[in-house]
Amino acid sequence: MTVVSSLFRELSFLLRQRAIAGLLVLALLLSSLSISTGLTEIAHQRAAIERMVLADKADRENAMAKAEDWGGAAYSSFHLTYLPPSDLAFAALGQRDLSPWKHRVNLLALEGQIHAADTANPELALAGRIDFAFIVSVLAPLLVILLLHDLRAGERAAGRHDLLIATAGRSGGLWPMRASALVATLAVCLLLPFWVGAALAGTQLAKVLAVSLLVCVHLLFWAAVSYWAGARAAAGSVILTGLVGFWLLLTAILPAITRVSIERAISIPAGGDIVLTQREVVNDAWDLPKNVTMEAFVARHPEWENEAQIDRPFEWKWYYAFQQVGDQSAETLSTSYRQGILERDRAASLAAFVSPPVLIDRTLQGLAGTDTRAALAYETTVRDFHARLRTWLYPKLFLEEPFDRAALSDLPAYQPLVVDE
Amino acid sequence: MRTILLVAADEWRFWRRSRLAMLALGLLLVLVAASATLTALRVANEAEARALLQSEAEETYRSQPDRHPHRMVHYGHYVFRTPPPLAMIDPGVDPVTGQSIFLEGHRQNAAMFADAKTGATAGQLADMSPAVVLSLFAPLLLIAMGYSVMTRERENGTLGPLLAQGVSPLTLIAGKGLALASVAGLTLLPLVLTAAVAISKGETLAATAVFLGSFSLYLLVWCALIIAVSSLSARRASSLTILVVVWILLVLIVPRIAANVAASVAPAQGKIEADFAVLNELRSMGDGHNAADPAFEQLKANLLLQYDVASVEDLPVNFRGIVAETAEADLTAVLNRFAEERMATEVRQVSLLRSFGWISPALALREASMTSAGTGVEAHHKFLRDAEAVRFDFVQGLNRVHAEQLAYADDIKRSSDPEAERRTRVSSENWKVLEDFHFVPPPSDTRVEGALAPLARLGAWFALLFGLVLFSARGLKL
Amino acid sequence: MGEFALSADRLSVKRGGLLALRDVSFEVRAGEVFALLGGNGAGKSTTLLSFLGLLKPEAGEARVLGQSAHDNVAAARKQIAYLPEAATLYPHLSAEENISYFLSLAGLRRDKSAINAALERVALQPAARAQRMERYSKGMRQKVAIALALLREAPILLLDEPTSGLDPIAIDDFNILIGDLARSGSTVLMVTHDVYGACQVASRIGLLRAGELVGVFDAPADGRIDTDAVHAAFAGRAAS
Repeated sequence: MTVVSSLFRELSFLLRQRAIAGLLVLALLLSSLSISTGLTEIAHQRAAIERMVLADKADRENAMAKAEDWGGAAYSSFHLTYLPPSDLAFAALGQRDLSPWKHRVNLLALEGQIHAADTANPELALAGRIDFAFIVSVLAPLLVILLLHDLRAGERAAGRHDLLIATAGRSGGLWPMRASALVATLAVCLLLPFWVGAALAGTQLAKVLAVSLLVCVHLLFWAAVSYWAGARAAAGSVILTGLVGFWLLLTAILPAITRVSIERAISIPAGGDIVLTQREVVNDAWDLPKNVTMEAFVARHPEWENEAQIDRPFEWKWYYAFQQVGDQSAETLSTSYRQGILERDRAASLAAFVSPPVLIDRTLQGLAGTDTRAALAYETTVRDFHARLRTWLYPKLFLEEPFDRAALSDLPAYQPLVVDE
Repeated sequence: MRTILLVAADEWRFWRRSRLAMLALGLLLVLVAASATLTALRVANEAEARALLQSEAEETYRSQPDRHPHRMVHYGHYVFRTPPPLAMIDPGVDPVTGQSIFLEGHRQNAAMFADAKTGATAGQLADMSPAVVLSLFAPLLLIAMGYSVMTRERENGTLGPLLAQGVSPLTLIAGKGLALASVAGLTLLPLVLTAAVAISKGETLAATAVFLGSFSLYLLVWCALIIAVSSLSARRASSLTILVVVWILLVLIVPRIAANVAASVAPAQGKIEADFAVLNELRSMGDGHNAADPAFEQLKANLLLQYDVASVEDLPVNFRGIVAETAEADLTAVLNRFAEERMATEVRQVSLLRSFGWISPALALREASMTSAGTGVEAHHKFLRDAEAVRFDFVQGLNRVHAEQLAYADDIKRSSDPEAERRTRVSSENWKVLEDFHFVPPPSDTRVEGALAPLARLGAWFALLFGLVLFSARGLKL
Repeated sequence: MGEFALSADRLSVKRGGLLALRDVSFEVRAGEVFALLGGNGAGKSTTLLSFLGLLKPEAGEARVLGQSAHDNVAAARKQIAYLPEAATLYPHLSAEENISYFLSLAGLRRDKSAINAALERVALQPAARAQRMERYSKGMRQKVAIALALLREAPILLLDEPTSGLDPIAIDDFNILIGDLARSGSTVLMVTHDVYGACQVASRIGLLRAGELVGVFDAPADGRIDTDAVHAAFAGRAAS
């Protein structure tokens, strides 16, 4: 008898057991639920982006139509920036609940704008989402444990163990066969909805394969642990208790410990200080002699040295110069703030190797572009875009080009980061 | 009664001789104690740090030099949300909402700098406050220790002899229940100690009692569930499997499904998107910086009529200040309307989420504990409203100064005439009117009242399961 | 050596850290019914499990058709049909389903009529055959397990307390069946603590006490083993 036909024999045999069939149906249902809500959530986000892009354009055109000089136009026109969800985001919503993925900025000091959070209902964020990453990283191990812990102990308790072994001949054959049949079916139950979701979302094949492989590797890890534990000559309930304890250790306790230690080891400047520093500099500028501001500005932009003379009590170029100086003053803090987040993330990615569930969760978020790095990369695109807007505006102000409303259409447009390629 | 105690003592003797049970109990106690200590220290530090930042922000504001009052409107001010005492046990939404708001004229900003954004991401269960440990993992301990209380006797064949001794099934079950409840009480001990600290920091007795009561009731619900399943199952293996599956569903799955359902049934716009509507509406109103805006013609006419003068220059008040004041009031009315709508949507989502507390006691507990601790969404909304009140007060205070202490003639020339500009600076004494801000959660009575609904849900769960235990006792199978 | 179906050669086996069998030697000839008699914990089941290769000998060897059961597990088990004590099959399957599942585990396939014939032979009521086994009585479960052992068509049968819990009529039927099997060439090794039952069916009886083989009784060529003698030996008295 071939291995495949034995596998199917065991499968059709196992599926007749109500508890096993029930667990597999539960896996299928929850995976489907996670995929469908993930797709809905991403569709919501895309629709919101579409609406916002239109509203943003209309609002900016409206503002520009009323502008009478370059400075006023820059002051009143806001620009939408956003991080579109990737083709895999439906499977791992990741940090999109916590880190902002959209900002609307104008040409005032960026540090005062970029830390604003436009996040969802905090109590919903606290409850968490049932995304595919959760199913795979947290729930799938428990399902594997529930399916496999009793493999031998159950037969032993029912008095069939010796008869099964004596009948099956080779003692090595039966248990691996049953375990493989269960794990393979569980993998299919978990992945089938994902494949459907990926087809609907048009996910790249390479990513689909990578996720499928990850899921299988993760299941195999837990299958190996459960199989090893299940081979102990202990009662099934004792084995189950031990395995759930091990799951708790890897999924919750160790991650909580690493998280606390990382956050203690790598300190991050208080975010409030960035904004406070920036605010002080921007507001103090009104009381300072204008050349103090302009000198600080020219130090960064020597190309405008000859045009940096301010004669009137209010000039736009001075106004935008102190906005830029405000950003400059907070630069060190702001950089070390982002650096700190990145370092914590790096440490967390190393620490994840002690806990497969965390590793899987983080890897899925990484593939889906919904992790901390993606959030920081998005922030960088906003900073670059803001810099391009400044580069566009400064010649108009410093060379005192006459205001030309038509030229406003040449304003740099925000190019969202495309995570899919 | 003596028999009940005997049965309970016997159960404890069984646990004391089981390495697995002792290991599990020890592990969870260490976990609760460690998390209680770490969280209490962290929250106490945070509270101190934020109180310090708050007084610094007030200090900085008051020590600003003489200026044009409208400059101070844009200079702005910060308020920080200091965590309430019971946040040491249940920090609630604090890590995800951001702790400070920048207050300035003409805008309502969102809270900034949520801890969760800067945290190391370590999977989906790495956030362990004592409240989380108790609601998620204490039931697992109770399951590990209690799944076999009845099935063990049944499988070992000791159930028959026990009943033959004249012990009634109910007495036996009561004894087992007492033993299990004492385990639950043990895990609550670190919480009780922390709660005592919270009381010493000013938390009321009533709120603390409701807070601890909800945790006790929650654990009792689990004890009853475990006893019922153990009494009704034939074998140890099946009672444990059933309980673990129930735990997965009630604790891990249903709360998340509830969040998904709430978000899709009552979808909320993001702030940026909602602000487009605000902008549209504001654009039809006047710009408070521009007294010549045609939107203020009516205001001008009324003022001229009221003071019986011919032009704004003759008014005894600074017309620009009046415009700023009026415009701010009108704008705030619009902003508040949208903010209230937004909060109403969040409340709708949250009450949908919380209605799943009928299905998941873990959700009911979370609501009860966050509400009574003052760390839920209501408390956050109160913070937003308090912050807005502070904002409106200081901005309008400055606008009043603008209207009453500045000459209109100087005000309109200040961009071109340095002398006039100097005369428009008012004394920094005016900045001292800024009031101290210290965030306090909703009053104890409100919190206690808010916690009654989730407590009722937990109570319903307990009553149902208690009935099931009685039912299982009546028809106890050998 | 080759003529022995089963042989234990100075077999010592540990279970749970203690010696459960100590230096046990005996042989079962092809076509004979050998009964191992002993009280609780004497080492009867341990002997059977050793022949199945389920336990590793501490010293000595358990051989099946001359080959070490422990070194050639698969070959040994192919020759053996095993009837465990209080045989419980899968309660959620019917008798027929249980039998065909277990047969396919052994790599065998039997059609429905062969299964029915076997169930007929063990006298399981036809009405019960398609029912799930969760409602079977202990005697009915035992019958199905025996039918399974028969269908294996293995030359050697290992029976662990085959008659415990059966009613007297069923025991009689069983004894007749074992006699038939032996006559048709099967080798039977059964363990029991039932002195009278053993004397009725066995051609030889080995007496185990505390892990040691304390005696072997032969049936005279013309008749049955002397029950009184065995009983006296079992109880630890000298034969009268």
